[in-house]
Amino acid sequence: MSHIALQDIAKSFGPVRVLDGCSVAVDKGTVMTLLGPSGCGKTTLLRTLAGFVEPDSGRVVVGGRDITDLPPNRRQVGYVFQSYALFPHLDVAANVAYGLRVRRVSQAETQARVRKALDLVSLSAYADRYPARLSGGQQQRVAIARALVLEPEVLLLDEPFNALDAKLRLSMQIELRKLIERVGITSIFVTHDQQEAMTLSDRVAVMRAGRIEQVGAPIDIYDRPRTAYVAAFIGRANVLPVDIRGGRVAPDPAIAAARADGAAWLVVRPENLAIENAGEGPGWHGTVAFATPQGATIEYEIAVGMAEPLRVVALRKVGEPPAAVGSPVRVRAVDPAACVVLGEGPDSV
Amino acid sequence: MSSAPLLRRILHGRGIWPAVPALAYLFVFLALPMLTLLAFGFVTIDRGRIVADTWTLGYLEAALADDLVWRLMWRSFWVAAVSSVLTLLLAYPVAYLFAEAKGIWRTLILVAVVSPLLTSALVRAYAWIVILGGRRGLVNQTLLSLGLIEQPLRILNTDWAVLIGMTQIHLPFMILPLLAVLAERDRRLEEASLNLGASQTGTFFRVVVPMSVPAIFAGLALVFAVSYTNFIVPQLLGGGSYSTLAVQVYEQTIVVLDWTRGAVLATILLSTCFAFVLAIVAFGNRLARWNESAA
Ligand SMILES: Nc1ncnc2c1ncn2[C@@H]1O[C@H](COP(=O)(O)OP(=O)(O)OP(=O)(O)O)[C@@H](O)[C@H]1O
Ligand SMILES: [Mg+2]
Repeated sequence: MSHIALQDIAKSFGPVRVLDGCSVAVDKGTVMTLLGPSGCGKTTLLRTLAGFVEPDSGRVVVGGRDITDLPPNRRQVGYVFQSYALFPHLDVAANVAYGLRVRRVSQAETQARVRKALDLVSLSAYADRYPARLSGGQQQRVAIARALVLEPEVLLLDEPFNALDAKLRLSMQIELRKLIERVGITSIFVTHDQQEAMTLSDRVAVMRAGRIEQVGAPIDIYDRPRTAYVAAFIGRANVLPVDIRGGRVAPDPAIAAARADGAAWLVVRPENLAIENAGEGPGWHGTVAFATPQGATIEYEIAVGMAEPLRVVALRKVGEPPAAVGSPVRVRAVDPAACVVLGEGPDSV
Repeated sequence: MSSAPLLRRILHGRGIWPAVPALAYLFVFLALPMLTLLAFGFVTIDRGRIVADTWTLGYLEAALADDLVWRLMWRSFWVAAVSSVLTLLLAYPVAYLFAEAKGIWRTLILVAVVSPLLTSALVRAYAWIVILGGRRGLVNQTLLSLGLIEQPLRILNTDWAVLIGMTQIHLPFMILPLLAVLAERDRRLEEASLNLGASQTGTFFRVVVPMSVPAIFAGLALVFAVSYTNFIVPQLLGGGSYSTLAVQVYEQTIVVLDWTRGAVLATILLSTCFAFVLAIVAFGNRLARWNESAA
């Protein structure tokens, strides 16, 4: 039984259908990440769950209870706003204490819990500052502390770390993950950073134009994208038009395809392609269009006569120069089993 | 030739330069005449002429020693203070309604708020005489015909009439600053408050009202100043024997033609008004310290 269930949520703003029959289920104590391009409805979905958006149709169920018609202040759903929404007339400590004061928690307990929450986000030294005097990242951490201090059963985080530097982001991710596990919070988390999605979440839902396109464990979505859209959204991927002949992919017959002969699309990750010497043989033939050494790896773009060049990531060896631009090469899949064959291509995106 | 650099500074300069034309205007047309007028309180005037070499603080000292002046000032003060608070209580719901309204409703509310400003305060004061006055006044007629009262209420020519008139006439000065702030406020903050468990009412008093403190005090300062110095409403609605400091300034200057006395009272009126307004603004700033830190 999932703890949070959004069932068939539809919502239009005027003529624009922002949520189009969106369903999400999250198990108790797990983290679900929403991934999707800007404007696809992620914030609107969270706002529906928090009670700020009234869905045109569909149900919101939390802990087995239908809360679709419950006002937001009776939902006990923690929410970290994309825009922070800190109270400018209250200092940091009072912002964090707000929910406790409303609940008439005793003065002593309030102080103790606020101090702990501020410690968690490393802002103890800023307790008596007003939000206008904080940096973006500090404001964001106050917003997180303000939601966490109530230890809600359900926590919604709308891009909570996007204003933080890489180091702080990582430590906050780890702290948040620990807290979520300790308290048993069920959370939905919006991010544009797939690395973050991979680190933080038990499951990932990829959204597209108001619908969920695919839900699964992060690695499953990475390995087995169901559509070209998902493949392009999680990690980088080459989506190539191919021909299927006798259950094999035409340019590289090492790749098996369990579908009828005809046109199809092949999803293959850049790191799953390797450059070999030119000459007769299976694979994609082309010339090196770009070579960028990136430290541990070299990124190639290989022109193979398709709309998009093939992207290849190869391990770099010290002292070994990258393949020269313009030189003819042949590209093959390293692990044929890791390739995915789809019926539909990126045109339908 | 020398005016060119000055012009350039005013048009493109930094700091105080762009304000120079406005400051010059205020100096010539406000500060100078005002100082001249106030100066009349410190000289002897005989048949419309200043008697030479009669500079003295004597008139001011005499006025400050006069019990009547203090009583008038006290009445001016409490009438202005009470009517400012009443104005706030009436204005806030209107401004809030405006902020919640959409489209044509907003326009209608705005027109309703602003249109009284198009008629003169004198006309509005006379209208209140018609409404409040005697047995045939609108209020008494209605109450009598409904049988709610046996005898007509005496409202006109009391403090009540002055308070009612002032409050109504100065309402726009309170509504307008509130309108702007309430209409443009960040609704996400109220959502955040609800999300943290506060009720709608709790959110209103914990978030909406504190956030509008700067506008509240701007309105209070404005309404206090215009009420404290208003001499038309007390005269018309308070009746012949009703007087305030502002009424005295008017009577001494225009009716009695004792310009010295008028100027002395005006000096007291203006300086106390200034002090009160400053106190209101300072108190508002104290309550809204968070607002300064944004700058
Ligand atoms: N109150 C509203 N009125 C009208 N349109 C709205 C409203 N809220 C959102 N929209 C529209 O709904 C769409 C989805 O918005 P939403 O904020 O959910 O996107 P998002 O996925 O969170 O994007 P981002 O990643 O940029 O935050 C957008 O096209 C937006 O313009
Ligand atoms: Mg968003």
